[in-house]
Amino acid sequence: MSSQEKPKLIVDGKRLDGRGFDELRPIKIEAGVLKNADGSAYLEWGKNKIFAAVYGPREALPKHTADPEKAVIKCRYSMAPFSSLEEHGRSGPNRRAIEISKVTKEVFENVIMSENFPGTEINIFIEVVQSDGGTRAAGITAAAVALATSGIPMRDLPYAVSAGKIGDHIVIDLNKIEDNYSDADVPIAVSPRTGDILLLQMDGSLTKDEFKEVIAKVKKAGQIISKVQRDALKAPYERISNKYK
Amino acid sequence: MQSVNSIKSTYIKELLNNGVRSGRGFFEYRNISVVRDIIPNAEGSAQVDLGSTKVLVGVKLDIDEPMPDKPNEGNIITSAELLPLASADFDIGPPSPEAIELARVVDRGIRAANVIDTGSLFIEEGKVWSVFIDIYIMNYDGNLFDASTLASVAALTNTRMPKYEDGNVIREGKLGKLKVNNIVTSCTYAKVGKSIMLDPDGDEESVMDARLTIANDETYIRAMQKGLSGSFKEHEVNELIETSFEKSKDLRAIINKLNSD
Amino acid sequence: MEIVIPGDMILDKPIHMENTFIEDNKTYAAVLGIFDKEKKVLIPLEGLWYPKHGELVVGIIIEERLNSYVVDLNAPYKGILVAKYVRDKLSVGDIIEATVKELDETKTVVLMRERKLYGGKIIDVKPSKVPRIIGRNNTMIKQLTEGTKSTIIVGMNGRIWIKGGDVALTTKAILRIQEEAHTSGLTDRIREMLEKSKKAE
Repeated sequence: MSSQEKPKLIVDGKRLDGRGFDELRPIKIEAGVLKNADGSAYLEWGKNKIFAAVYGPREALPKHTADPEKAVIKCRYSMAPFSSLEEHGRSGPNRRAIEISKVTKEVFENVIMSENFPGTEINIFIEVVQSDGGTRAAGITAAAVALATSGIPMRDLPYAVSAGKIGDHIVIDLNKIEDNYSDADVPIAVSPRTGDILLLQMDGSLTKDEFKEVIAKVKKAGQIISKVQRDALKAPYERISNKYK
Repeated sequence: MQSVNSIKSTYIKELLNNGVRSGRGFFEYRNISVVRDIIPNAEGSAQVDLGSTKVLVGVKLDIDEPMPDKPNEGNIITSAELLPLASADFDIGPPSPEAIELARVVDRGIRAANVIDTGSLFIEEGKVWSVFIDIYIMNYDGNLFDASTLASVAALTNTRMPKYEDGNVIREGKLGKLKVNNIVTSCTYAKVGKSIMLDPDGDEESVMDARLTIANDETYIRAMQKGLSGSFKEHEVNELIETSFEKSKDLRAIINKLNSD
Repeated sequence: MEIVIPGDMILDKPIHMENTFIEDNKTYAAVLGIFDKEKKVLIPLEGLWYPKHGELVVGIIIEERLNSYVVDLNAPYKGILVAKYVRDKLSVGDIIEATVKELDETKTVVLMRERKLYGGKIIDVKPSKVPRIIGRNNTMIKQLTEGTKSTIIVGMNGRIWIKGGDVALTTKAILRIQEEAHTSGLTDRIREMLEKSKKAE
């Protein structure tokens, strides 16, 4: 942007894209889209477009990365050089991508029953082919579906969403421009069965009460996100069942 | 060490030696689908599904300096990533020799055929547009060359030209299109024993001895690349050139249909 | 037919079942599947293979070691054949059927009673679909064998060896069973498919 002026993110009580404060962008998920992967999903979340794939469990290589007690979870979050509205990006993961890969991995380390597969590795790949804010949350949401299609046992199906503060308002699901100019940005991943928080990052300024409001709104939005994940997992089976009813 | 894939595919070798290709003719393409503008954030984009091979290409334009030997022309930079999610055999890390070969062969065809009018990329002295073509392999099932060339050219035929005004790049609003002078397509063949086939799938590639890619337009051969350690006889290459001119008509028709739709 | 996803509670009390876990005295699904309330079993729609003693598997020899052969089973763990108990001389690339003896401490699948398979074609399917490909009382596999005249060996690891007869038809039928495994009337539909193909000859 040529000007350093902060744009108004809320106009006449609505966000720039017309959404209410608690409103999610439209989310679509399709399970099992990549034939070679052991599990996969394609997700569209607003303008975000993400492929998630899982390979494994398979032998952990190099051997020194193997854990004799459980499967090692590896995660690679990456953004395509053509994914942003701005200039062409560098190829290969940058520091931001490496950090996101780490915190994403930690979400799944919590829910995957890795003790069932000692000595192996489970690889999670998240490729963002188009980005518009909230890609780490969208990536986690997609990867959970990909893992479920791989048959790898998990204790729950996590979802994630980013919340934030714009002026005095707590807002759900920041898009790119809101992410850039909000007063706080809080990506969160939740284990819906237990309500446990599996990923929490924050940048900006929030009071204790504002944070409580963030969590409440995240969990409310999470019910919608979980349903989209569930429907995506059931869809291929229901489609075929309906054909032969 | 023979890979599991090539062991699983040895039955194909027997079939081929007996003149049988399961499921299609020796010079028949699998189902091809091409969709453009799949990534609206990019200036141009396309997805090609060739059988189960899935390739995504994004085209972005940025301001750059011209090459010293071509001060009035823009640049074309083509890269390919064999994403680890596309196959259990693709590793993470810097581009492998296979990825680099793929990018360079696709680039060669596009450049030699003058698909992009590089003169139209000139802005002012010392400033030109660089066209970045990024090939993203999403699922591997053979013949990345033809799928990537098709996706790259399809993307280029509907790429927006950003504007350069007062030192700023403007990517939104009413924009013109990248000037495309020509269409190039490629045909890739695999040799397994004595059999040669067009558009090898993943199983066929796991047992092939040699590979030949021929990129051409209506009149000229524009690029060729022979791969792997097997060999082709001279008459085989000549026959495949003829076949390519024939088969490329169908591929060009796919691109032209996108433009007329 | 209710499809459950990982984390869904399937029983209000703790019962040990494959592909589930117990927490707070309740049983939960660990994989995407269908819960059969009567039989108290979670049928995985997507699932991994958990090797059991006595199961028949189909594998590929991928490495020859001093005292053993390493076998690829298209599974998280490799199989191993102890050289001195092996019947014929084996080499890398050979296809074998074998029986699971046990899992050793590193979860390698110790195999026994191997038999080399010559020629033929290998296809890999999801292990969770194997029971449907075999069918109750072997009904489906018998139907396939008669309808295609192929010799078919189905490994519990999801790896299937096909030789002779109409290999293309056998492959097509097996892949269709995999896709429609969770529906009813499948046996009849496959029989129709095989009969139609016979008429077309």
